[in-house]
Amino acid sequence: MGSDNTETSGNETSGSGDWLTGIFESHRGELLRFLTARCGDREEAEDLLQELWIKASGQPADPIANGRAYLFRMANNLVLDQRRARQRAMARDHNWLEAEGQMADVPEKRPDPALPADETIVKQQEAELVRQAIAALPPGAQKALRLHRLEGLGQAEVAQVMGISRSGVEKHLAVAMKHLRNALADCGLIAPVASKEKKAIRGGEPRKDTGT
Amino acid sequence: MSDDDRIIEQAAAWHVASERDDMDWDGFTQWLEADPRHRTAYDEVALAGALVDECRGSQVVVDTAEAEPRVVALRRSAGRVAGGWQTWAGLAIAASLVAVMVVPQFLKSDPAIYQTGSATRQVALADGSSVLLAPHSRLTIEDDRQMRMALTGGAWFDIRHDPSRSLEIAAGDVRITDIGTKFDVQADKGQVRVEVGEGAVQVASQALAQPIRLTRGRGLLFDGSRGTALVSPVQDTDIGEWRSGRLTFDSAPLTLVAADLARYAGVNVTLPDALRDRRFSGSLVVGDGEAALRDLSQLMDLELVRGPDGYRLEQRR
Repeated sequence: MGSDNTETSGNETSGSGDWLTGIFESHRGELLRFLTARCGDREEAEDLLQELWIKASGQPADPIANGRAYLFRMANNLVLDQRRARQRAMARDHNWLEAEGQMADVPEKRPDPALPADETIVKQQEAELVRQAIAALPPGAQKALRLHRLEGLGQAEVAQVMGISRSGVEKHLAVAMKHLRNALADCGLIAPVASKEKKAIRGGEPRKDTGT
Repeated sequence: MSDDDRIIEQAAAWHVASERDDMDWDGFTQWLEADPRHRTAYDEVALAGALVDECRGSQVVVDTAEAEPRVVALRRSAGRVAGGWQTWAGLAIAASLVAVMVVPQFLKSDPAIYQTGSATRQVALADGSSVLLAPHSRLTIEDDRQMRMALTGGAWFDIRHDPSRSLEIAAGDVRITDIGTKFDVQADKGQVRVEVGEGAVQVASQALAQPIRLTRGRGLLFDGSRGTALVSPVQDTDIGEWRSGRLTFDSAPLTLVAADLARYAGVNVTLPDALRDRRFSGSLVVGDGEAALRDLSQLMDLELVRGPDGYRLEQRR
């Protein structure tokens, strides 16, 4: 196994664990290049590559999957997870500061910022903003998005339900994502995380980060 | 289009494509390397996607907290066979001239009751307004100055707006007031749908913290048993679509689809508990009830089983 085979793949076999790590080794270079391009930071990419290897080695064998694509997708998700954690930390800080400001004169009403209730409120607010953004989407894009991301239908199923082609669904979804990105960036839900800031956060507690 | 727009657009396309088995990861890497702005744009799009995913299952707009009615917003539409709204208005006027059924508003004190079987029925009101009552439905009109109606089943209302009166329609556990002008109501077993084709209405219920104002192109799905009320956009052409023999659903629970098929296609279908919350989106032609059921079962990949008292949908094994 391992070896240098195939992009279309599916036939790299072996017991669990080794299944992906073999493919990982043969595509290590590409994966690192991808992660570097995706993070914009070589050092971070190397850390993530390490993490990817650990995840891959714990992965049970899946004879149907395209191993290489699988690894790229995992890598892509690792970066996203990290970005989300960073956003979440920033939102928490922001919220905490705001709550602090508003409640300063009524100490007995001030929620303990350590309480998870805080997080719940943040999430509710977010959910409301996201719902509004979805409601404002053009009809076709909205329908495709709801079916796909909220109802959990695959893109092919969405195509069937909507009576359009698979590429039509992709176009609708891309329009939806573009609008959502714009709407959510406008209301501050997704702030770009600049490289330097993320360094600071990576080091330790998110709390000390800047920008809010 | 600005550069930034184009970049966001490309990022969105990559994001959608990344789910494909044949995603071009090399091409994506090169795109990312080409310009640092690409990376930022992709981050933003992917984060937006993650936020949407987190909202999964929490679409309820108004939480009615307790028991009873829920209003669900469905999409039904006005896909009229000929001519659209104008024809429709013409029909309404014609109907009142021909006097299909004129309710004298001031004279009688007994409520007028209209009950349909398998056919629809047009009810013309004295002021030129009209109601098209769906099959297997019942409309009661209290004949006082204020005009109160109660509906079980479905009806398409075309109501002349008159601010001097307070028309009220009771449907299931909701009350519809402040009415003008064209809207569809479906009330069945604790679920009520209200969809506005023109103008606006207000929907209130004890189970709702506050009334909900619905405007054109909006629908409300109220579910009493579950205590949820959901407002969502509805395509114009889907509102009151049963009038032209079609039903279009957008993420409607199967229980509701089944109730509509019973009313509009005359077929009875039962569902196991496990399927009651499955959602259906799509259009069904209701002229032939069995064909509609077959379409539904195929679109949902369910098994259609014929029993002694009608049909049953089951999970495919």
